[in-house]
Amino acid sequence: MTTRRQILKTAVAPMIVPSLVLGQRAGAVPPSDKIVFGGIGIGARGGHDLRTLLNFSQAKFVAICDVRNERREEVKSMVDQKYGNSDCQMYDDQYALLARPDIDAVLIATGDRWHTPLAIIAAQHGKDVYCEKPCSMSMEESWALADAFRRYNRIYQAGCQRRNGGNFELCKELLKSGALGKLETLYANVGPSVNWPPLPSRDWLAAEELPPRQVLDWDRWLGPAPWRPYNSAYVRGGWRNFYDFHGGGILEWGSHTVDLCQWAAELDDTQPVEYEPVGTNTGPYQVLAKYASGVKLVMRDDGWEGSLKTGSCSFRLEGDKGWVETGDATRIECSDNIKPLLRPTAPANLALASHMEDLLRSIKTRQQPRASASAAANSHVVCHAAFIAYQRGKKLTWDPTKREFSNDDIANRMRSRALREPWRV
Amino acid sequence: MPQATQTTPTPQAAPAPKPKPPEPPPEFQERDIATMDAAALIGILTDRSSAEFQKAKACQRIGELGTSEAVPALSTLLSNEHMNTYARYGLEPIADPSADDALRAALSKLKGNLLIGVINSIGKRRDAKAAPSLTKMLYDSDGDVARAAAMALGNIGGVSAMQELQSAIVKTKGMTRMAVADASLVCAERLLAEGQRAQALELYASLSAPGMPKSARLAAMQGIIREETSTSRPR
Repeated sequence: MTTRRQILKTAVAPMIVPSLVLGQRAGAVPPSDKIVFGGIGIGARGGHDLRTLLNFSQAKFVAICDVRNERREEVKSMVDQKYGNSDCQMYDDQYALLARPDIDAVLIATGDRWHTPLAIIAAQHGKDVYCEKPCSMSMEESWALADAFRRYNRIYQAGCQRRNGGNFELCKELLKSGALGKLETLYANVGPSVNWPPLPSRDWLAAEELPPRQVLDWDRWLGPAPWRPYNSAYVRGGWRNFYDFHGGGILEWGSHTVDLCQWAAELDDTQPVEYEPVGTNTGPYQVLAKYASGVKLVMRDDGWEGSLKTGSCSFRLEGDKGWVETGDATRIECSDNIKPLLRPTAPANLALASHMEDLLRSIKTRQQPRASASAAANSHVVCHAAFIAYQRGKKLTWDPTKREFSNDDIANRMRSRALREPWRV
Repeated sequence: MPQATQTTPTPQAAPAPKPKPPEPPPEFQERDIATMDAAALIGILTDRSSAEFQKAKACQRIGELGTSEAVPALSTLLSNEHMNTYARYGLEPIADPSADDALRAALSKLKGNLLIGVINSIGKRRDAKAAPSLTKMLYDSDGDVARAAAMALGNIGGVSAMQELQSAIVKTKGMTRMAVADASLVCAERLLAEGQRAQALELYASLSAPGMPKSARLAAMQGIIREETSTSRPR
């Protein structure tokens, strides 16, 4: 007789679990049905993710890893308080956390430099992943990320939660239905250059005295980023806008809004073939891109709330019959002919919960969620290509199949970055 | 009732500006290094009075220019704990084989993380001439070196690397065995990409055996299924 254990041992096909058993935010979930999470590098943004995750009864968070002692203790305190116990374990070594066989998935919300290497290590350990954006520091990392999650057949959800936001979904639906006509132009607000200039600084801050290792492990904080002297401003959140820690201003919001454009237009498996930078590093700027189909993608600094006040991280879809635009204000602006088709949608601030639910469902069903590694890799490659075009200050042509620029050798050499030893992707 | 402009929560306001990081001191500002030509950049690397910051920026800029004349100067920095990454930043994108020669030559001179960095760069460049040295390193007493060597071999790929990895997977254990298994999966994908399907399937089959690291075993089984159910497989 074939036992359940034998079946499980030999089963390699995805196990389909009815969605009926999922999505329950209240009520008892048997411990054996809970998805067990650990977290790595949970700070301000990661705390938001974690608080959302903790609201799902089918998830259980059991361990935190961080190179900063205070962060470890903050997360443990939050989790233990939520569960009314003291079970959350603390680690300063990600391998120790990932070696735990009881952990199914990890929430990664470190600085950007760690995102790809940690996600890949997690996949190698058989873990599913929720990883904050930006997901990669270079084109090469983007491809390595997608390859690893395909290779290990692990679930990956990028922190591109707007893919599960009702107002963004409605815009996509309007495009897909044909209401906008033939798609002509996609607009991604890549954020204000005053916050995130397209060209980050390559300077270093002055050296300060290193804190004791038990307070902050600077070597592990740097991780895959090249060495530089310690300065507390980096650790307090000032690492953004420094090239060695950051993928450039376009990627900061572009990892959301370019990603939304690719998703809405069902272009998740490709990238534009032309990139033309316009503007300066200190004022509003654009990168004009074009897909092989002729559809245009405009990556632009449209201010924090967007010129139509649709809110942060706005995107706009324009067809030959109409247009729609939305952002974190949830409100949808559109051409007159589209107005009768609008309907109320869930507030944008519920997108994260839906996105997390999408992840939990995917972990059970083994079907990739909306912001899969592959989709995120492609949208990130678009942002990296735009960043490289901006650095080069010239129009670049890109071959998505060959994964190379066809008119600039220097641009091709900017597709990857050396990682500090011993890290690799 | 349909509405053009829906009632909504308060728009997400711009966050209060974070305190700006302090201004970088003059000695840590890139300035004209960003636009220097290759000769001037090599001059920085060979000038003993150049500061670490200047050398770091020169390496990164050389990596963009891809200047093969800089290989000797970059190579001298591979043994510098702070500069190793920057030297590899310069070396990795240089197409000229002299960059491979330099990295390969460093294999016998370095230890620990510095050696691992060089191995990682060799793997990235897929330098097949380094395979014999990397094969020996699969059994290095430093487990991190062994794991890096395995990954580099997997990236280099080919039947020879496949055989070495198959041999190593039964002789290694723990995290090194996991790394060898991971490298073998990468190697299998390289073989498939190069049309060596039978060898790739053989590698997947060996990784599917009981006793292999669980995640790699499942991945290998998936690889077999993916390949055997592919519409483009030979029939």
